[in-house]
Amino acid sequence: MSRFFTTGSDSESESSLSGEELVTKPVGGNYGKQPLLLSEDEEDTKRVVRSAKDKRFEELTNLIRTIRNAMKIRDVTKCLEEFELLGKAYGKAKSIVDKEGVPRFYIRILADLEDYLNELWEDKEGKKKMNKNNAKALSTLRQKIRKYNRDFESHITSYKQNPEQSADEDAEKNEEDSEGSSDEDEDEDGVSAATFLKKKSEAPSGESRKFLKKMDDEDEDSEDSEDDEDWDTGSTSSDSDSEEEEGKQTALASRFLKKAPTTDEDKKAAEKKREDKAKKKHDRKSKRLDEEEEDNEGGEWERVRGGVPLVKEKPKMFAKGTEITHAVVIKKLNEILQARGKKGTDRAAQIELLQLLVQIAAENNLGEGVIVKIKFNIIASLYDYNPNLATYMKPEMWGKCLDCINELMDILFANPNIFVGENILEESENLHNADQPLRVRGCILTLVERMDEEFTKIMQNTDPHSQEYVEHLKDEAQVCAIIERVQRYLEEKGTTEEVCRIYLLRILHTYYKFDYKAHQRQLTPPEGSSKSEQDQAENEGEDSAVLMERLCKYIYAKDRTDRIRTCAILCHIYHHALHSRWYQARDLMLMSHLQDNIQHADPPILYNRTMVQLGICAFRQGLTKDAHNALLDIQSSGRAKELLGQGLLLRSLQERNQEQEKVERRRQVPFHLHINLELLECVYLVSAMLLEIPYMAAHESDARRRMISKQFHHQLRVGERQPLLGPPESMREHVVAASKAMKMGDWKTCHSFIINEKMNGKVWDLFPEADKVRTMLVRKIQEESLRTYLFTYSSVYDSISMETLSDMFELDLPTVHSIISKMIINEELMASLDQPTQTVVMHRTEPTAQQNLALQLAEKLGSLVENNERVFDHKQGTYGGYFRGECFRLLSSPGFWYLHSLSPGTPSTSFPSLSCRPEGRLPQKRGLHAPRWLPPAAISNGLLSSPLCLTPRLSNLEVLSHTPGIKSLFK
Amino acid sequence: MEMMWSLRHVNIDHLHVGWYQSTYYGSFVTRALLDSQFSYQHAIEESVVLIYDPIKTAQGSLSLKAYRLTPKLMEVCKEKDFSPEALKKANITFEYMFEEVPIVIKNSHLINVLMWELEKKSAVADKHELLSLASSNHLGKNLQLLMDRVDEMSQDIVKYNTYMRNTSKQQQQKHQYQQRRQQENMQRQSRGEPPLPEEDLSKLFKPPQPPARMDLLLIAGQINTYCQNIKEFTAQNLGKLFMAQALQEYNN
Repeated sequence: MSRFFTTGSDSESESSLSGEELVTKPVGGNYGKQPLLLSEDEEDTKRVVRSAKDKRFEELTNLIRTIRNAMKIRDVTKCLEEFELLGKAYGKAKSIVDKEGVPRFYIRILADLEDYLNELWEDKEGKKKMNKNNAKALSTLRQKIRKYNRDFESHITSYKQNPEQSADEDAEKNEEDSEGSSDEDEDEDGVSAATFLKKKSEAPSGESRKFLKKMDDEDEDSEDSEDDEDWDTGSTSSDSDSEEEEGKQTALASRFLKKAPTTDEDKKAAEKKREDKAKKKHDRKSKRLDEEEEDNEGGEWERVRGGVPLVKEKPKMFAKGTEITHAVVIKKLNEILQARGKKGTDRAAQIELLQLLVQIAAENNLGEGVIVKIKFNIIASLYDYNPNLATYMKPEMWGKCLDCINELMDILFANPNIFVGENILEESENLHNADQPLRVRGCILTLVERMDEEFTKIMQNTDPHSQEYVEHLKDEAQVCAIIERVQRYLEEKGTTEEVCRIYLLRILHTYYKFDYKAHQRQLTPPEGSSKSEQDQAENEGEDSAVLMERLCKYIYAKDRTDRIRTCAILCHIYHHALHSRWYQARDLMLMSHLQDNIQHADPPILYNRTMVQLGICAFRQGLTKDAHNALLDIQSSGRAKELLGQGLLLRSLQERNQEQEKVERRRQVPFHLHINLELLECVYLVSAMLLEIPYMAAHESDARRRMISKQFHHQLRVGERQPLLGPPESMREHVVAASKAMKMGDWKTCHSFIINEKMNGKVWDLFPEADKVRTMLVRKIQEESLRTYLFTYSSVYDSISMETLSDMFELDLPTVHSIISKMIINEELMASLDQPTQTVVMHRTEPTAQQNLALQLAEKLGSLVENNERVFDHKQGTYGGYFRGECFRLLSSPGFWYLHSLSPGTPSTSFPSLSCRPEGRLPQKRGLHAPRWLPPAAISNGLLSSPLCLTPRLSNLEVLSHTPGIKSLFK
Repeated sequence: MEMMWSLRHVNIDHLHVGWYQSTYYGSFVTRALLDSQFSYQHAIEESVVLIYDPIKTAQGSLSLKAYRLTPKLMEVCKEKDFSPEALKKANITFEYMFEEVPIVIKNSHLINVLMWELEKKSAVADKHELLSLASSNHLGKNLQLLMDRVDEMSQDIVKYNTYMRNTSKQQQQKHQYQQRRQQENMQRQSRGEPPLPEEDLSKLFKPPQPPARMDLLLIAGQINTYCQNIKEFTAQNLGKLFMAQALQEYNN
């Protein structure tokens, strides 16, 4: 193998001589049709041509070979199958066939097949021997081929009339064989063996022609042609590679040699067994050949690499030769491009080639059109440099790419008469005619989008804590600049759709950046220092908010694809939220109805990010409830990191396979866009605390209290489980400690836990307006602590002065007043305000602990009875609704039942007062005497003689449930 | 145990007749108590368990009770079969699990004398616990416990319910299967083929594991005790309250 590599570069100059012959080689019947190429890189072009035509023909010849094999072993079924495939393959190759004419080998197989079938058909005995399937296949095939051959009638007849040509070929082949064997070179032997092999398997004429050709070459220049031959065969996958396997192969082949001549179709049947064996060997061999082929390809690749001098020569080739015209350059460009995407091409070399080409074009003043076109292609091949989607560009490549795009943009701006568009067809391109506007195929937008992707990829793949990342991040400005330029360009020329796309790109690069300057400006009063401000304003161009507004509005108005609009809306909301414009952000979110259909929408991560930002914004504005709601979903899942695209969870790593992981990795958001997770969690927990603690205090004794935030409760529980409570360390511990303090109404401790050095460093300083947030937070804590305090200790007070409260919580009197009023209105606090003395007078209306317990018990018993009923139902079949109908309908509300069991003998007038109060909230006015609704008679009746015992358990209820009521008698 | 050894050492005749357990609020009906009492009673027929409630005693009335397992329960425990059927057959309910043995406390005369003397010496205030009207704490605790038990009971019932449902479902399936088999056999017979072999149905349909009912019984017993406790307690309290009312009226 190594022989070829060496010869490859050695025989460079020679091969240029023999190049013309080489080109003519491929398939019989169409010599000289390929364009003659000036340059040296025949290899490239030839490969290209082959890929277009030879691939098809190769397919055909392969099929034909199988058909012939099948014919030989009389496997008509196989024949039929293959024939059908052949028909299809021919259909595919139609376009080429139209150009090149019907290939001879194809006609030949058709004719042969028909003859063969007819022969079989006539051979009655043989037919009898055939099995069912074969016979059936035979008849179908015969009919089919008749029909099919009608189309090729003329060709076939001509072939039949003039079989010499093929005979010629055969003869030639034979000649050649003898020649080969007589030459008796070691290599030659291999070749001849291969030819024999092929003959045995009735290789199509095309290939044999190739051999013929090869032999000719050999005559002329044996060394060179050998080399070339290798190049040929390498990619055509013909069998002639067998040269490689000299020793073994020759032995094997020689065995064939003996057999092959004798193998006549008629004798086949007799020799079937041996044939099979031979076939097997053949198969094995071809397999080996395939391997060989691959190796060879590798070799090719190697060679191009080795052929850097060849690249160097390139400009010379141009310069030496013809005058450089557009046509030449473009042809050259096409040549290079066609190699693109091929397995064997060296991408780096290609890029270099293209760059040289640009130079040449520039040197020769070929006009901007050409240069633009080449530039497009350079960028494209830069992108293509990495075959793997997951890997990212190397920095130097990236730099090159940026430069290229910049240059391209320069040209485009400099020459407004150049039209660029992806829908301009290759044919209608106008690269040099200076009179008309230049038209170049290619889409600048796509390039920029791709560039953006690459940038993201680079960022994703760089360690965010390294210096490197910072370096890369500096490129962001450049990227933005490019995007801006493209935007300007497209605003002039592009369609609305394109403008939308570039706007989106711009938005995506803007939305997450906090506009410090604008923020500063907002803070400084507009009247002062007007001059400097103006300067400033001029300097920095438009405010990012205005910019966002403008871009997004355009997209909302013009965009037709849903995706871009959704993205734009989300970014817009994000931007609003980032700049604390809560109401705008919220309105936009609600108006867009995004929340309803976001499940189907494309960018879930962006949506999550937006929601989070919205929540944080609400928190900054002191809207804890909104903040909590916005963050609830993302926090309750416990996968915030994943949902925001800021990292993969280790836990689920095992669950997903490689592929998924790659996809997910690609979805990750680069580090500079990350939202601080600790901040997020802290905001969530603190807002949960502000909501939950007063709520808990208010519903302390309520059995069916629901949780506002599970996450928060979880943290609390974790805190409780700690055996030893040290001073809080982490953010969570701080919040838990603060919650505990708040529960006791101790706002100062709570405050010191939430806002201190540690928390400042961890969380609060991350906000752009940290001080504002902190003051807001303090106030919130004071208010909520006040509420909690009132809930918790209201039972201890008869009345409390508001002044005291305002002193305790350091809130001003009106605030205290408003908070308490609100609580009273919401019926959270049973109290009234005494205006003259500024005191809150408590009404003792809350049920006592016993009453609460009794109520709970009643409820539980209700469910117990129900369950019991169900068991009973089961035993009795459906019968058993008796109790439910009669008695338990009354029990539907526990409060009702409570009364019912209490006062069995009382007149029904006493019912309504309680029945309309759920949860047994007792009548407001309950004086020192027994409740009005419970006449003393009822008490004694219910208590002492308990006639209503459904079960012994229930009978105890009535006794206990109004002991407090009676107790009050004696107070 | 050491005590017994010592007794034996000094050659005193003794009979081990049981054990005692102290408990709060009458929550003694548990599996552990059942098991140990069973083992005692199994070994020595006359064994009893003494239940002592220190809290109640502190409130002014000595709470000491002796219990024995009923013979029925003994049988059930012996067989260690707590499936619903077995309990049904044994005809046992929570009311008949334990039988109370009346207690007569006999002190030696010397101690009686001491008591008399102490009573004379003690101030009146010491005895006031009996008349205390603040009962909410005790009641609340009792209620809480009762509620827990009720919860448990309800869970158990749900469990039992699912069991019942499963059983009946399986029965249905079994029935269907049998019918199908029968039909098939009939068909085969009419065609003159031999009938399909009978398969073991119990293999095909494994009956679901019946839940042990003993726990439920115990819970029911416990609830019953709580209820009685509460009833007793409230009855006493009511009496006190009425007394207080009368007193107040009288004062006025």
